[in-house]
Amino acid sequence: MEKIVQDFLNIQPQMRKNEVWRFVDFSSLLTEELTLPHGERQTAEYRCNVPDMEALRMVVENGFCHQPASDCGNGVIICSLHDAIKHHPELVNQYLGHCITRPNPYQQLNSEHYTDGIFVYVPKGTSMPQPVQLQSVINAGHGLFLQVRNLVVADEGSHLTLIHCDDSYDSAAAFANNVTEIHVGQDAYVEHYKMQNLNNQTGLLNHTYATLEQGSSFRSVSVTLNGGHIRNHTEVIMQGEHCEVQAHGLYMGDGEQQTDNYIFVDHAFPNCHSRELFKGILDDTARGAFNGHVLVRDGATKTEAYQSNNNILISDKAFINTKPFLEIYNDDVKCSHGSTIGQLDEQALFYIRSRGISLRTARTLLLYAFCDEVLQQIELEPLRNRLIDLVKKRLHGELTLCSDCALHCSSPCNGPEVNFYIDTDKL
Amino acid sequence: MALLTIRNLHASIGEKEILKGVNLEINRGEVHSIMGPNGNGKSTLAGIIAGNSKYTVTEGEIIYKGKNILDMAVDERAAEGIFLGFQYPVEIPGVSITNFMRTAVNEQRKYRGLDPLSGSEFLKMMEEKKKIVEMTSKLANRSVNEGFSGGEKKKNEIFQMAMLDPTLAILDETDSGLDIDALRIVASGVNKLRRPDNATIVITHYQRLLDYIVPDFVHVLYEGRIVKTGPKELALELESKGYEWIKEELQNN
Repeated sequence: MEKIVQDFLNIQPQMRKNEVWRFVDFSSLLTEELTLPHGERQTAEYRCNVPDMEALRMVVENGFCHQPASDCGNGVIICSLHDAIKHHPELVNQYLGHCITRPNPYQQLNSEHYTDGIFVYVPKGTSMPQPVQLQSVINAGHGLFLQVRNLVVADEGSHLTLIHCDDSYDSAAAFANNVTEIHVGQDAYVEHYKMQNLNNQTGLLNHTYATLEQGSSFRSVSVTLNGGHIRNHTEVIMQGEHCEVQAHGLYMGDGEQQTDNYIFVDHAFPNCHSRELFKGILDDTARGAFNGHVLVRDGATKTEAYQSNNNILISDKAFINTKPFLEIYNDDVKCSHGSTIGQLDEQALFYIRSRGISLRTARTLLLYAFCDEVLQQIELEPLRNRLIDLVKKRLHGELTLCSDCALHCSSPCNGPEVNFYIDTDKL
Repeated sequence: MALLTIRNLHASIGEKEILKGVNLEINRGEVHSIMGPNGNGKSTLAGIIAGNSKYTVTEGEIIYKGKNILDMAVDERAAEGIFLGFQYPVEIPGVSITNFMRTAVNEQRKYRGLDPLSGSEFLKMMEEKKKIVEMTSKLANRSVNEGFSGGEKKKNEIFQMAMLDPTLAILDETDSGLDIDALRIVASGVNKLRRPDNATIVITHYQRLLDYIVPDFVHVLYEGRIVKTGPKELALELESKGYEWIKEELQNN
């Protein structure tokens, strides 16, 4: 077994004693067959056909970015992290590692051994007219252990939309321990949309560390369509007054899949708002976890923080651990938290069926209706429409890894078709 | 043969008996109004005809088009031409009225052995039916009932009725929560859909709606039974005198 894989496995037992990492057990996915990447390149062309969306696309293939820097003008920098270290050392030194206020051993493993990733810098006052898309693809034909590192800096008063896709292109096992740092400067606005469509043999530990300066806004929406075990580990630190955080997630799991969302939001200054909405549908023996921690520190008056997690369990054996958690150290705040685990509303089912719609279709409509609230949080309309379509396909059992995975449609497929099928008859 | 015959219908919700022997016969081309004080079983009767499994039928039968429908699923009854206009229409976020109706129309067509409507055929039909309730295109593209006003919800119910073209429509307190303009639009929609081969049951509290939708028969449902049936003038009498005289009449008998 590769030493780094062994190191990762060795960290796990200690980590699982920590409440934050209690449910995180990747052991079954960390096998002997995982090797470190050596810049494996495929001839595949990674396309993306979201209608009406022109994104500046950067592909990270098997842990490395082979693309030259994108020439955007206006001082905008979009390149591989390698190129950034070579050509923009002052920016990298200023920001790399600085968003991480609470290090953990998994993230530290990435910091020591990451291979590559992308670097995005949007200078002061610049609003990016096009979204930037980071496509992180796994396509080596054999097992890989990956550690990708991305750094995103949106300077004062700028606006950036970042689409972040994690996709499998084959059916080989893989594991990715990725870290993305996002620095949102004063009065800047960053939208971060994460799409995950990995095969059932692949694990992903996706750390996102965001720091927000005064008056800035951060919107994060993750859509977990498929994967063996995916953990979205997000930490958002507000470092000034009047910050806005919107952090939302949608997850779907069946078979033996595991999805896990951890989000920590740190309110250290007054007059900041945060809102979290996470929703999930789990079938078969799928397992999920939601662990949301909002910390309102002493002095962070006029804080507004809302947190909500709703789940639908389709089978008796599907399982969710949900823990919304508010920790508040001052009186002048408006906060709420809640979680639900439920089934479909009988009255709504009756209403739909009374129009002649079969029970099966009625259930699918209601499951989609459940997801819609999260998808509506995606402000980029073409992307939202595409994801609405993909989620509907997922619920109809029509989504496949190759022809329709999160964003790289119509590319060649060399693995077996993965059929996601939520069997609504079991409800 | 009557379109709908209900004989000695008893039904309960949980342990509580709500209907205690309802008898009713409805022929094609007729409009029946069911009136009565709150909590006496009007909505229950509507729900049972449509197939709401919340209620348990303990005795009696419902014969519709010659078939006992008590064993039929909700969607099957709808495809056979039964439509329920809800008192409280349900919100379905993320599903537009257009998509909802396209799904419903085509699933009903499938049940009847017909091919689904093409996109253009369907849109043409929508345009026609929207006029019946003066529905705007903007509303048709919104999610079903989400954030609708009371009037919009009821208009949407009649629009769905127009799209599905039922043989038997049951309108459960369609007038509640409507201002006078919306009431007029909704009622005129119902009248436009009236034909010699279909029938309508109008459940209401107030005579007001019956000024617009003129019934052939008025029934009073009281304590789980239809205790009085009369011509449309009965509704006027109830409006001016209330229900007390009916209760007294019952006690005297």
